[in-house]
Amino acid sequence: MAIITISRGSYSKGKEAAEKVAARLGYECISREVLLDASERFDIPEVRLIRAIHDAPSILDRFSHGKPAFMAYIRCALLRRAQKDNVVYHGLAGHLLLKGIPHVLKVRIIANLEDRVKSEMSREKISEEEARSLILRDDQERRKWTRSLYGLDPWDSALYDLVLHIHKLTMDDSVAFICEAAKLKQFQATPEARQKIDDLVTACEVKAALANETVDVSVTCEFGNVLIYTKSGERMQHKLQEMARKMAQEINGIHHIEVHSGVPAPAHAI
Amino acid sequence: MSIIIISSDSTEKGEEIAHKTAQALDYACLGRELLPVVADQYGIPTDKLEWALEASPPSWGRSAGLQRRCLAYIQTTTLGELVKDNRVCHGLAAHLYVVGISHALRVRILADPAEQAREISKRGSVPLEKARRLMDRQRKLRQRWSLTHYQLNETDPSQYDLVISLSQINTDEAIKIIVQTAGYRRFAPMTYSLRCMEDAELACRVRAGLLETFPNVKVRAEGGTVIVETKGTRQNKLKKAAAIKEQVQNMEGVDYVEVHVKNGLFKKAP
Repeated sequence: MAIITISRGSYSKGKEAAEKVAARLGYECISREVLLDASERFDIPEVRLIRAIHDAPSILDRFSHGKPAFMAYIRCALLRRAQKDNVVYHGLAGHLLLKGIPHVLKVRIIANLEDRVKSEMSREKISEEEARSLILRDDQERRKWTRSLYGLDPWDSALYDLVLHIHKLTMDDSVAFICEAAKLKQFQATPEARQKIDDLVTACEVKAALANETVDVSVTCEFGNVLIYTKSGERMQHKLQEMARKMAQEINGIHHIEVHSGVPAPAHAI
Repeated sequence: MSIIIISSDSTEKGEEIAHKTAQALDYACLGRELLPVVADQYGIPTDKLEWALEASPPSWGRSAGLQRRCLAYIQTTTLGELVKDNRVCHGLAAHLYVVGISHALRVRILADPAEQAREISKRGSVPLEKARRLMDRQRKLRQRWSLTHYQLNETDPSQYDLVISLSQINTDEAIKIIVQTAGYRRFAPMTYSLRCMEDAELACRVRAGLLETFPNVKVRAEGGTVIVETKGTRQNKLKKAAAIKEQVQNMEGVDYVEVHVKNGLFKKAP
């Protein structure tokens, strides 16, 4: 009973590892499904969500609500899947989108650049030079994306519980490791951890509902008590209070909702 | 029957895991206890050797040369021990010079950053924020140190077969994972990998013997053949080659010596 996120670079065999782990543990293996859920639920074309989670923000993105709003939708959809437990997620940024949940096993799979180039060459039928440049550009894009949205480097091993290098370690060895680790006590869902996910789902739903209005909000939820933090002025505060009243009736799991203006949001707020 | 090399961002954790892993596998454990042996062998005080392993690399001057020499001596003695096989090594920077040896399992252990910051803060009576800044500074210093002396970034996960973070996984579980991995056939010594190790030891021993007189030599070894490369002026080329040859041919394990002195304005090896 665990949630496993597998982070990977392109052609690092992470997808294969995720599928094998899910098959061995009888878990659900998800990636694109999260985007489809978000697309359906928030009525956004999938292609726009893919761009939001894949491409680094452009200068124009900094002045629009687009990217943070899409990320809120994607996070909300992923948390809803995680709520059901027993999932292996191998899509982008799983370890960051599920931050704050204690029983998530965060794994990164890496492979040698030369092996990745060979895989890309045989799959795309392109030259070695082209394959190398594509992979390096993709890696660069991922790093830029994570840095701009979360201020972190996805290659930093400290973000993961296990980093497995598929070279001397084979795919089967890696799968065995992940399955063993997933059985450890600390990666089992406890009632407290489940409550934490429920609260995160509620906070995410609120954030997603507000995402179109303003990006300048942070949300926390503890046992159904939702706090919305904003730096905006009085006018926006009134508007948010109005929206909060509506949300209290529409979103499940809200016991109480408050809007705090001019108060700094705590570090764990989303 | 393999070599396990443990690198860690926390000396205490690395040492603890190395000792317990060695105990579990009934291997010998190599650590900083080896430094007095190096000191005896090369007549350099132990504190200078410790300084070489930890101090920020000086960019020029006598101390840069001394640090390079100290590291070469440590490397030679460590490789001399590792050739004997069934060893767990930590704290001697072996992850940076035991490269391309298939029966060497290279593991990086990452301590829980929150716990580490608390410990530093308690030990040095400094606020947590300052402890975090100190940790960050130490990480950057290690990166610079490894890049300067071995042209490898020791924080790069692709340098290792396995990276384990102790934030969620505890020490005993980490040891279990390492012991399990060391048992894989891929990490069993083979004739070729053992010969590569012997070659690395011989090359390193020859370089350590030459460093004091010829500070900028590059040495390779294949079987008993040793190839030494250096730079010199046209006038002293022959003299230098003869001097190197004379010094090297009497060393243990050397069957044949080849010396290549390339023309160089500053008499330095490339």
